[in-house]
Amino acid sequence: MGELIRLEGIVKSFDDTMVLNGIDLSVDENEFVTLLGPSGCGKTTTLRIIAGFEKPDQGRVYFEGKDITDMPANQRPVNTVFQNYALFPHMSVGENIAFSLRVKNRPEAEIKKKVANALMLVNLKGFENRRIDQLSGGQQQRIAMARAIVNEPRVLLLDEPLGALDLKLRQEMEYELVRLKKELGITFIYITHDQEEALTMSDKVVVMNEGYIQQEGTPQEIYDEPVNAFVADFIGDSNILSGQMVDEKVVRIDGVDYPCIDGRKEGFPPRRRVDVVIRPEDIDIVPYGRGQWNGTIISKLFIGVHYEMLVQSEHGKVEWLLQNYDQHDVGEKIGMKVDPENIQIMHKPKSEAESAIELDL
Amino acid sequence: MTANKKSYSIPFILWIIAGTVIPLASIAYYGFTSREGGFTFANIAAMFRGDHMQALGLSLSLALISTAICLVLAFPMAMILRESKYGKQGFLIFVIILPMWMNFLLRTMAWQVLLERQGVINAIITAIGLPRQEMMNTPGAIVLGMVYDFLPFMILPIYNTVSKIDNHLIEAAYDLGATKGKVYTRVILPLSVPGIVSGITMVFIPALTTFVISNMLGGGKINLIGNIIEQEFTVNSNWYLGSGLSLVMMVFIIFSMLMLQKFDKTGGANLI
Amino acid sequence: MKKTLGRIYILIIMLFLYLPILTLIVLSFNDVKSMSVWGGFSLHWYAELFQSRLMMGAIVNTFSIAILAALIATIVGTLAVLGMASMKPRTQNVLLGFNNIPMLNADIVTGIALMLFFLMIKAPRGYMTILFSHATFCIPYVILSVRPRVNKNTDRLYEAALDLGATEKYAFRKIVLPELKPGIMSGFLLSFTMSVDDFIITYFTRGAGINTISTLIYSEVKIGIRPSLFALSTIIFVVALAVLLIANIRQDKANNLKDARAA
Repeated sequence: MGELIRLEGIVKSFDDTMVLNGIDLSVDENEFVTLLGPSGCGKTTTLRIIAGFEKPDQGRVYFEGKDITDMPANQRPVNTVFQNYALFPHMSVGENIAFSLRVKNRPEAEIKKKVANALMLVNLKGFENRRIDQLSGGQQQRIAMARAIVNEPRVLLLDEPLGALDLKLRQEMEYELVRLKKELGITFIYITHDQEEALTMSDKVVVMNEGYIQQEGTPQEIYDEPVNAFVADFIGDSNILSGQMVDEKVVRIDGVDYPCIDGRKEGFPPRRRVDVVIRPEDIDIVPYGRGQWNGTIISKLFIGVHYEMLVQSEHGKVEWLLQNYDQHDVGEKIGMKVDPENIQIMHKPKSEAESAIELDL
Repeated sequence: MTANKKSYSIPFILWIIAGTVIPLASIAYYGFTSREGGFTFANIAAMFRGDHMQALGLSLSLALISTAICLVLAFPMAMILRESKYGKQGFLIFVIILPMWMNFLLRTMAWQVLLERQGVINAIITAIGLPRQEMMNTPGAIVLGMVYDFLPFMILPIYNTVSKIDNHLIEAAYDLGATKGKVYTRVILPLSVPGIVSGITMVFIPALTTFVISNMLGGGKINLIGNIIEQEFTVNSNWYLGSGLSLVMMVFIIFSMLMLQKFDKTGGANLI
Repeated sequence: MKKTLGRIYILIIMLFLYLPILTLIVLSFNDVKSMSVWGGFSLHWYAELFQSRLMMGAIVNTFSIAILAALIATIVGTLAVLGMASMKPRTQNVLLGFNNIPMLNADIVTGIALMLFFLMIKAPRGYMTILFSHATFCIPYVILSVRPRVNKNTDRLYEAALDLGATEKYAFRKIVLPELKPGIMSGFLLSFTMSVDDFIITYFTRGAGINTISTLIYSEVKIGIRPSLFALSTIIFVVALAVLLIANIRQDKANNLKDARAA
C-alpha cells in the first residue's frame, strides 16, 4: 500500500480566525482514515481542502506525489458524500446518480448500467425513478453514496454522512460502509465527531482539535494510549487525574503512590507533573481496604449492559467514574484496584504544566 | 459560490442609482430650491400654510380612521381564517385576494356608482320611500373607499402571522388557567404584532398619500395632502413647492414608521 | 353559536367586498346608461369598449409594458442576487437597504421622483419612461423572491455538482438555475401584476399621448363614468377569476400529487 494523499503544512484561516494551524497528514492507498474531533476543530476544512472547495493559505496537497493544490474540484479524482447529502431535489434518484457520468458525456447505455450497478451496491436496486423527497433519511444517505461512487473515484470523502440518522440506522450503516469499502477497494476519508463511529470503522484515526492534529494512530492505539488529556477525554469515558512522578515508574495519583509502566525512557522522569488516564472499565472493585484506593459509592446508574458508578475517594477530593457488571449499592464502601498497564501517563499541555507547579499539588 | 460574480450586480446597482437615488435626490434638490433657482426653505415651510395644514390634518385623520377600521375588521377575519378547515381556508383566501386583482380605480369607481346622487343606493332608498341621501363628496365616502380598497392588505399579513402561531402555545395558555379573553390578550395578540404592523404599514401609507380616492369619491372638493402635491405637479407646474411638500410628507411617513417599528419591538419584548 | 357568528361575519365581509363588483357587472349589461334604472339586457357597452381605439391601445400598452418590465426586472434582479451572494454581508445589507426604498416609499413620492429625474435629463416622457419606472419598482420584488433561494443549500448543491466533475457553467445551468426557478418565476409574476395594477407611478411618468388601462380609466372617470367601464370591470374580474382559479387548481393538483407520493 503506497501513499495516495499527502497534506504538507496546511494553514488556513477565515476572516482572521485560524482554522488549520499546520496540518501534515498522509493517507495510504485503500486506507480507511477518520478525522475525528469536536465541531470547529478543522476537520471539515481539511476535507474541503482535499476535495478542492477551499484553497489553503499555506501548504500543499499531493495526490500520488503530484501537487494538486491548485487543481479545481471538478478535476480531482475524489468524490464527496456531503453532510445532509446535497442531493439535487429537482432530479430523480437515477438522474442524481448519473450526474457525474452525464457531465462526462458517457454513452446512455453505459450510464444506465453503471447507475443500476451503483444502486445495487447500496442495496437500493430499482430505485432509479424515485424522487428524492420520497426517500427516507437512510435511503437518501445510500443514494448520496451511490452518486459519489458511480464515477469510480480513487478516494471517497465522507463528511459526517451518518450524522442525520438515528442510532439504530447509524449502526447498520457503519457495517454497510465497511462492506462497501471492501467491495470497492478504494480509499475512504471519513469525518465525524462521534468517537464510536471512528473506532469501529477506521484503519487510522486522526484526532483533531483547534486546528492541530492531536494524535494519529490505529483505533486501539488512540483508545489505549491517548497522548494527552484532550484525546483521552474525547475518546470514551475516562478518569483524567493530575499526578506526579515520584520515582522511576512510580506515579502518585489521588494521594497514593502507584507503579506504572512509563518512566524516564518514555519522557517521564521523577518529579515531573503529569496527567493520568484511567478508563472506568479498568478499575476493579475489591473488598474495602484490599485495593489501592478506598472510597464510597455516591451514585449508581444502570446503563444497559453494565452499571456506572461515581465513587468518592477517601484519599483526596477526587470522584472516580467506574463501570462494572456487578451491582453495588450507593453508600457501600469499596476498594479499587487498577493494573499498572491500564494507567496511562500523559504529558501535561505546556501552559497547564507551568501553572500546576505554582499550585503545588 | 466561490467564483467572483460580484460584477453580476452592476446592472442592479446602476439601476438603483438612476431609478432611486438620483430621483430622490432631485426631489430634495427641488424642495430646497426657489423658482428663481436660489436656495430656500420656503417650499418646506409652505406645509405650515393654513390650507396645506388643513389638508395634512384631514389626510392624517382619514388615514388613521380607515386604518383603524381595517384593523378592527381584519383581525376577526384572520382568526376565523386560522380556525377554518383546510379547504374552506383556501376558498376564503381566494375570495379575499380576488378583488385585489381588479384595478383599484375600477373598485373605487364602483363606490361612486353606489353612492352617487343618482346612484344605486339612493335608487333603493327612494324606492322604499326614504329621502335621497347626499353621500358622495363627503369624508365618509373617502373613508369607505379607503377601507374597501385596502382591507385585503390588512387581512393577509395578519392572517399570515396568526396562522403560524403554534396551537400548543394556545393550549398551554388554557392549560395554565388563562380565560379565553386572556388567551387573546396575552398570547394571540402579542404574537400577531408583526402582522398587524405590516398590515398597518400597507394601509396607512397609501391612505395617507392618496389623491385618487379623494378625487373620485370627494369630487375634487375635498383636498388631501396627496391632492395638493399632485396639483402642484400636474396643474400648477410648481415642482419646487410640490417637492418641498413631498419631502415633509416623507419625513412624516418615516417618523410614523419608526414609531410603529418601536411598537413592534416592544410588542415582541412583552412576549418574553 | 360561535360558528354561526363566524359565518355571519364572513358573509358580511364577503358582501362588502363583492356587492360593489356585482353592481358593476349587472350594470354592464344594462341597456340604458342609468345607474339606477334597469333598461333591459344588452351587450352594447361591450361593443363600445372593443370599438374604442383608445382602450385597445391602452390594453396593448399595459400588457406589453408589464411583460417587458417584468422581464427586465427578473434579469437584473436575479443577476443582482447572484452577484450579492459573493459579497460581504455588510455590503449586501447596504444594497438591500437601497433595494427596499421603492417598496417602502409612498407611490406618489416614487412617481414624482422619477418624473423629476426624467425632466432633469430631458427624457421625453412616454412608453420608455413608463417602462423604466415600472422596472424600477419591480426589481425589488424579484430580489425579495429570488434571494431566499440562494442559501447554504444552493452552495452545497453547487459544490456537489463540481465535486462530481461538472464545470462551473454546467453546475450553474443544471443545478443553481433550477433551484432558483421557483423564486424567479414568482418574482416575474409578482412584477407583472404590480405593473398591470400600477396607476400612480404611471400617471406621473407617462407623456401626454400615451395611456395604460389605469390612466385611461382615471381620465374617463374624471369626465363622467361611461358604462363601457362597467364592461371593462366585468372582463377584468372574469379574467382575474379564471387566472386565479387555474393557478389554484394547478397548485392543488401539485400538492395532492406530493401528498399521494409521500403517502
